[in-house]
Amino acid sequence: MSNRTLTFSVFRYNPATPEIKPCMQSYQLKEAGGMTMFVALTKIREEQDPSLMFDFVCRASICGSCAMLINGKPRLACKTLTRDYGTKITLMPLPVFKLIGDLSVDTGTWFRRLSVKTRAWVHTKKEFDPTVLEERMDNATALEIYEPERCIECGCCIAGCATANIREDFLGAAGLNRVARFMVDPRDERSEQEYFEIVGSDEGVFGCYGLMACEDNCPTKLPLQYQLAFVRRKMAVAGLKR
Amino acid sequence: MLDTGISPQRSMGRNPRIDLYLDLAQLISGFLLVGFLWTHMVFVATIIIGADTFNSLAQFLDDYYLSYVGIPFIGLVALIHVIVVVRRIPNRYQDYWRHARTIMHFDTWTWIFQVVTALGIAILASIHVFAVIMGWPIDADTSAARMHAFWWFYLVLLILGEYHAGFGIYRQFVKWGWIKRKTIGFALKSITVIIVALGLAALWVFVQLGGALR
Repeated sequence: MSNRTLTFSVFRYNPATPEIKPCMQSYQLKEAGGMTMFVALTKIREEQDPSLMFDFVCRASICGSCAMLINGKPRLACKTLTRDYGTKITLMPLPVFKLIGDLSVDTGTWFRRLSVKTRAWVHTKKEFDPTVLEERMDNATALEIYEPERCIECGCCIAGCATANIREDFLGAAGLNRVARFMVDPRDERSEQEYFEIVGSDEGVFGCYGLMACEDNCPTKLPLQYQLAFVRRKMAVAGLKR
Repeated sequence: MLDTGISPQRSMGRNPRIDLYLDLAQLISGFLLVGFLWTHMVFVATIIIGADTFNSLAQFLDDYYLSYVGIPFIGLVALIHVIVVVRRIPNRYQDYWRHARTIMHFDTWTWIFQVVTALGIAILASIHVFAVIMGWPIDADTSAARMHAFWWFYLVLLILGEYHAGFGIYRQFVKWGWIKRKTIGFALKSITVIIVALGLAALWVFVQLGGALR
């Protein structure tokens, strides 16, 4: 058991009360064994400050709600242990996304826009027939689809991305990873050219600088470099073919 | 709120493939420049073998007009490279700076130095090309005299050039490739160390020769 007392410096701002300027507020807390940032925040809220806003749902790094900047790096609060840090910990909300208050951001609107913009559903002209068996897919393809599907849409890749921080319309790794998933799906009948219209520009894959902060900060360790490079190569071929 | 369409003004006025072409122009011009830079360093390093080898190589390039084709060609490629990479510099550089300082991510930092070294190279390389052309033809004696007097200039240019080339090519491999980042990084670091070592050795020999001539 640790005897440390942690000092959390937490970003405070509520857009509903703009007269109170944004500031960093300090909280002291005794560290408990195996404490996560999420546990620490819950304790602070219960014992010290009920007005503190932050998001969580699953507490098991599946839902992606509790992403925030922990000492500047995008991390999930629920799987980040306090013992891996010094006694001073800074918590900030994820950039890029709309601030709801304190550490809580609205990733939903952003990801909704991404889904609509990339038309993130299987495009097929086949009529669905509930009486016949599904078409088979080979295992390798299925795995290639499942891998990008592990994305929990926490927004860490977007918050870490320089391009996404600079230009609002950039789809980011989450968006391009999603498109990559449909590109390999044999049920999706979209042509290369249709994909090119969606991601064949600086809003899409050519806006990527290749800094790979997305991959380095991904809590689910998605192979984002491979996914981005895959989309880039495909789109280069599609663009040159016409 | 949910902007999903493509602005008609933009899709009318703009070639939809322009971002791809610019990206490819950056890639190809970058590769050509790195190829040139490494070849250039190997050529310069012939001075380590001896002034005669260096002179006969310079003579060979001159006789077959390779210098007269090569220099303008590389100048043009460099110009294209500058034009296409400038678009990558954010309108408000403070945005990038603030972001880099927040997330403290290595590759995000190296890109800032990519811009800084680019500026340095643009200035120093122009001066270097101008000086070489003014002292035409290339031969060991004039080069040695120049290096002897301005060794610090060449030391800076060597380091800036190799840094920019190494990280530039690394980033292109990361963006297009299927090789692990660590592997590419290691390979490119090794090549860069060899090239810088060759450059330093050549510089040392030149400085010594320059000193002997005085």
